[in-house]
Amino acid sequence: MTNRRPIQKILVANRGEIAVRILRTCREMGIRTVAVFSEADRGSLHVRLADEAVHVGPAPARDSYLVSERILEAATRTGADAIHPGYGFLSERADFNRACRAAGLTFIGPRPESQEAMGVKTSARKRMQAAGVPVVPGSEGPIADEAGASVEAARIGFPVMIKAAAGGGGKGMKRCDRPADFSKLWQTAKRESLSAFGDDRLYLEKFLEKPRHVEVQVFADEHGNVVHMGERECSVQRRHQKIVEESPSAIVDDAMRAAMGKVATGAARAVGYVGAGTVELLVDATRNFYFLEMNTRLQVEHPVTEMVTGIDLVRLQIEVAQGGGVPRQEEIAPRGHAIEARVYAEDPARNFLPSPGKITYLRAPGGPGLRDDSGVYGGWVVPPYYDPMISKLLAWAPTRAQAIDRLRRGLADYHVHGIATNIHYLRAVLDHPAFRSGEYDTGFCTAFAKELVQPPDPALEPVALIAAAVAAHKRDHDRADEFATRAHAPGSEWARLGRQRLLRGGER
Amino acid sequence: MTATTYVALLDGGRREEAVLVERVSPGVYEVTLRGVTHRVDAFHHDHGTVSLLVDAESYSVQLDERGNGMRVHLRDSVFPLEILDERRLRMRRSPGKLTADGRLTLSARLPGQVVGVLKGPGDAVREGEGVVVVESMGMQNEVRSPKDGKVVEIAVGVGQSVEGGAPLATVE
Repeated sequence: MTNRRPIQKILVANRGEIAVRILRTCREMGIRTVAVFSEADRGSLHVRLADEAVHVGPAPARDSYLVSERILEAATRTGADAIHPGYGFLSERADFNRACRAAGLTFIGPRPESQEAMGVKTSARKRMQAAGVPVVPGSEGPIADEAGASVEAARIGFPVMIKAAAGGGGKGMKRCDRPADFSKLWQTAKRESLSAFGDDRLYLEKFLEKPRHVEVQVFADEHGNVVHMGERECSVQRRHQKIVEESPSAIVDDAMRAAMGKVATGAARAVGYVGAGTVELLVDATRNFYFLEMNTRLQVEHPVTEMVTGIDLVRLQIEVAQGGGVPRQEEIAPRGHAIEARVYAEDPARNFLPSPGKITYLRAPGGPGLRDDSGVYGGWVVPPYYDPMISKLLAWAPTRAQAIDRLRRGLADYHVHGIATNIHYLRAVLDHPAFRSGEYDTGFCTAFAKELVQPPDPALEPVALIAAAVAAHKRDHDRADEFATRAHAPGSEWARLGRQRLLRGGER
Repeated sequence: MTATTYVALLDGGRREEAVLVERVSPGVYEVTLRGVTHRVDAFHHDHGTVSLLVDAESYSVQLDERGNGMRVHLRDSVFPLEILDERRLRMRRSPGKLTADGRLTLSARLPGQVVGVLKGPGDAVREGEGVVVVESMGMQNEVRSPKDGKVVEIAVGVGQSVEGGAPLATVE
């Protein structure tokens, strides 16, 4: 069943860690690779790891990675027969998907119709409802005017969420607690939505108390098989950005997993899905779950699922794109516990200000059960144009507690010099009692903001001062010694060089 | 001979700590800080990684130098600081503060005790000539005039304790 349409060469239409991640699997499969890069990324890791690389434009993504004509031209020029879009950039753009197919290229992902069906939130909700998938109680579709919306909000019951129909990433999303605030928040959301998505259609959803964000990995092939690979708990979010993800979720038991899996595969079936997809669910305090959205691509946190299932999701994506099939549901047996922490070039001490710049030194941790999916190297200058995530560190262990301890240990041995990172913040998250207990929701980072950004331990300050002073002393006196040696060296500089080479046994 | 006093600037320069470092043998130091002397065994690895044995406690320290400053990574903490020897501190300070009327205030770099007053009010001074001597952590530091001029005022007396940054004398 596999290799009905063998793929010889894949163009990876992405950058950073995900491009590196995809290139690695291609290398293992013996498939040739093409990287694309902007002006700012000429020296980046993914260019080094690919067999071929094509320059696609200036640094800003809208002039390079987001220009579908440039990407397609690069594929044609290099003779690639397939495109892997990664996540972000063009990955969920149905028009790009169509253009690839029109150019005779295999798009490694779902059909464009599936992406369209899930692209607009309100129509996705409607379709999911029709397919019997539970959605968060809310308005039927976009609401035309504020007066109508205000009536609808009262019907749903406060607090409500005002959301952008074309939305994502928290933009144009407002929580409204009481009728008095409704008008102001509605107008703000409208403005934000228009500027972020060029679309000011809004809809309403009931606000769930203490919601958790749990998502289900689904996989479908073109032969009608749809399976799920368990869940990922993604409730540790800062400004709607996930930072720590784990599988399994502390609140999901076998019965709930089976129920969620059924809903998720049902959602995928309802849109004729093929390939890897993620069904995002909101879980309320009493463990009811509701459809939130479906991401029609590979997810950032997919390695969490890879570590518990042992399945290489990128390989499976490529096999499915070649006409292959997915494993049977009973063959998918998650084992142990996996956690991921996203390492960002940002400074928690300065309100998480991005920290682009040169990485002067980099040492990633090793040892049992760790995986570092990085897109950078020591000496690389992190450009200011793109997402500040530089790596994802993952740990696997038989139990949740051991996996947390292992990731904690790995983060303590992750050294990035030259730029600020959130590594200490991630360690504080893992150490927090609420995280350790598993009793946390999407409000975690806000509720414990103060505890998670800790000042340095004053008890350690003397040691820091000693270290800095001793290093300065060594530097100053080594320099002085070196100077003294040179000043007293007899004979010519050439003779000294010659002697040194002889002593080193080097070239003469 | 290899004893050197360093000054660490903390909290963006709002706080100072003096550290006296004396090398006993290669890699072994006696370090005096806040009145306590520690025996420190320092093994320098690559790229700012230092293995420190302070008395017997083992620390793996990462020194991330950037520009003038550095970030010291140690267990769960990061300390942003700047470390200066006396010469650099002098250059930084240009040891006095110029006032609007062209007068310069000479100040103490480190907390300590005044052990000598070399000039009196009305005395002429040459650039680089010592005015007051302050002893800190067993080291005598001459506070010198950064310019040719005249001493206007001596603000301290021998035996007096002074804080870091305290005014000592004014020259014009």
